[in-house]
Amino acid sequence: MWLPSEAASLSAPFPQEHAEAVVAPSAPQCIEIVGISKAFGGHAILKNVSLSIEPGELVALLGPSGSGKTTLLRIIAGLETPDEGTLRFGGDDAIGLSVQDRRAGFVFQSYALFRHMTVFDNIAYGLTVRPRRSRPGRREIAKRVNDLLDMMQLPGLGGRYPTQLSGGQRQRVALARALAIEPRVLLLDEPFGALDAKVRKDLRQWLREIHDRTALTTVFVTHDQSEAMELADRVAILNEGRIEQLATASEIRARPATAFIREFLS
Amino acid sequence: MSDLALSSNAGRPAASVVDESPLLRLAIIAVAVAFLGLFLLVPLVVVFVEAFAHGLGGYLQTFFDSDVLAAIRLTLLVAAIVVPLNTAFGLCAAWWIAKFDFRGKDLVVTLIDLPFSVSPVVSGLIFVLVFGAQGVLGPWVTARGLHIIFAVPGIVLATLFVTFPFVAREVIPLMQSQGRAEEEAALTLGASGLKAFFTVTLPNIRWALAYGVLLCNARAMGEFGAVSVVSGHIRGLTNTIPLQVEILYNEYSIASAFALATLLALLALVTLGAKSLLEWRTRQSDNRGLPDVAPE
Amino acid sequence: MSLPVPLRKRSALPGFGVTAGITLAYLGLIVLFPLSVLIARASALGPVGILRVAMEPRVLAALQTTFGISLAAAVIDLFFGGLVAWALTRYRFPGRGILDAIVDLPFALPTAVAGIALASLYAPNGWLGRPLAAAGFKVAFTKWGILVALIFVGLPFVVRTVQPLITEIEREIEEASATLGATRRQTLWRVLLPPLAPALLTGLALAFARGVGEYGSVIFIAGNLAYVSEIAPLLIVIRLEEYDYTGATAIAAIMLAISFLMLLVINLIQSWGGRRFGHV
Repeated sequence: MWLPSEAASLSAPFPQEHAEAVVAPSAPQCIEIVGISKAFGGHAILKNVSLSIEPGELVALLGPSGSGKTTLLRIIAGLETPDEGTLRFGGDDAIGLSVQDRRAGFVFQSYALFRHMTVFDNIAYGLTVRPRRSRPGRREIAKRVNDLLDMMQLPGLGGRYPTQLSGGQRQRVALARALAIEPRVLLLDEPFGALDAKVRKDLRQWLREIHDRTALTTVFVTHDQSEAMELADRVAILNEGRIEQLATASEIRARPATAFIREFLS
Repeated sequence: MSDLALSSNAGRPAASVVDESPLLRLAIIAVAVAFLGLFLLVPLVVVFVEAFAHGLGGYLQTFFDSDVLAAIRLTLLVAAIVVPLNTAFGLCAAWWIAKFDFRGKDLVVTLIDLPFSVSPVVSGLIFVLVFGAQGVLGPWVTARGLHIIFAVPGIVLATLFVTFPFVAREVIPLMQSQGRAEEEAALTLGASGLKAFFTVTLPNIRWALAYGVLLCNARAMGEFGAVSVVSGHIRGLTNTIPLQVEILYNEYSIASAFALATLLALLALVTLGAKSLLEWRTRQSDNRGLPDVAPE
Repeated sequence: MSLPVPLRKRSALPGFGVTAGITLAYLGLIVLFPLSVLIARASALGPVGILRVAMEPRVLAALQTTFGISLAAAVIDLFFGGLVAWALTRYRFPGRGILDAIVDLPFALPTAVAGIALASLYAPNGWLGRPLAAAGFKVAFTKWGILVALIFVGLPFVVRTVQPLITEIEREIEEASATLGATRRQTLWRVLLPPLAPALLTGLALAFARGVGEYGSVIFIAGNLAYVSEIAPLLIVIRLEEYDYTGATAIAAIMLAISFLMLLVINLIQSWGGRRFGHV
């Protein structure tokens, strides 16, 4: 159910809006990961990983290259199947669900926008592919898309093509597209990886605001520790397929659990 | 990038969860293989099987016929004239287009490609319209007692036309992408233009050049439609290998026709092999230059 | 105020004059002069004269045969060529490498060789002709023979035009579509196929253009009966043998015009594709 947002004020780059929170159809769901293992070609990428994410929490998966963080994210999304372990969204088994049925909104590092479609069609895509019975009417789809465009501060850009947008704008379209399907959880793979430093800083703040408004359980992957520490409610630090510590940023800084973490943070 | 060991081997990564079902995949592969096998592979096989219909003896017997030998000689002669000429032209045009900036470059490239778009029969017709009895230069030609149409020169001209773009097409894009820096460096070191060309440019393009020459040659030897129009089909004189194949086939010397055709088929296979080799080499040199991308 | 654009930039490298001269002279002599003679003669006939020839029943039949069957063959090549390109690019299976190389066979094999091979294959006593005849299909010496030959020559145009684009498809696009709830079929139809459309159309146009002009691969299997299974290029040859330069020129002019038209169409498709899809 969508509640209307008021028009965005354009005076400040990322102004505080009076917009109502976008409400997901059900209350935010927790994510339970138990004993997930995954190997590629004999090489173990994830080793018996367990993680419990509270409803509405914003969790960062932080770690160096090869730590398995993106694989874990993709397993949550259903883009990879684990060799072992269980995964639940709000108590319901998720492993048995296909990618299509899982409704885990995913924002790719390269955005993966459909270049041959307009921004509007990109965002509306998840709604237009639904089977006829559950598909919203055209007017309702248009309303949702435009509400999202406003929320992402991209008013009026519905008719543009992705190639006509800046990197930051494309990222927001990718996020809007994922949000349009009213996902149960939101997953972001290095959301700011492809952007330059100044844009990254601005968008960090903005992503936190979006999370607060949508109240979705959100997981994002990053190798940038300042980003993880600044944004997330809790941070899971991964190294070589294992979670070395899962705690708030301040706790990790105060009491790093292993030598690796100490080194990684310095 | 995602932390999957995706690009560890060259080529397509392992099947992902979002791919089409294995059954559908199998069906598509089956259809593709059947189609290729039926339409491409089987005809190729037919050439060789029919050539040996009368055994090895019958196969070899074909090449003792004087008309056949004349056809082979003529084909080799035409190729020996056409290939060097078009190669020289191709290199000349490539140097002009790749090493200089000027307006109208696109037009020149389009014009060079023109023979590709012209039907073979029309390619032969135009030379008849120029040099034939009723042609533009017809009277001029007859006055001097020259024979162009229905003689070897006509065949050479028509073959020149149809094989015109082959070397240029292979070499121009490569030279364009290689830029001018190396040649300019050679000049600063005291080399003349010609020397720079032979010592710097040629080695850089040698594989593409070789392939272009191979294509040019294959087409020069195999051209049928254009040569058929200008040749006059005079036995022992103006029949190239393809034309002789037609004659043998129409006279119901089927096995001989195919035997002669195997020469061209083998040439085609060599061409295909060379292409694979060239692509493999290009992939190698491409990969060598890339920086390592750390998996996430 | 802008400086006049120089015709060419001064370059340090020598040889501009020489190479330009040789290239243009050779190009003019071998390609442009003979073609211009055809165009001049055709213009002398004028559109009326050409049309008069085109309207002759035999010519009309030949043109219909040529264009109709070329189009049919190109469409068949589009469908199967697309499948072949997909299978060769996206799947791994034994023999893939060899089959990929074989796709170029119609490019590499001389048309006369292909012609007699196909004719033998589909003749009533041929390897394929015999079973087909038993099933009631006559292929050689009919229009079906022409179709088969043109399918053969047109296939690589579709496959080679489409393959590079299939190779470039980003895996993440497909995954994004799936995460948004699309079935595989929806992904194929709405996300993967549209960007391939320009290449597919280009392949279709190229295959068609090639089929229209094809001679050697077709005349052995065609039957070449006037009004029934006679192709336009053959009619040109026949007119020439009858010393009817006018008739031959007229038909050739039509074919040349179609060739150039196809070139234009292909260019338009490419630039449309470039604008619409970001790249072709």
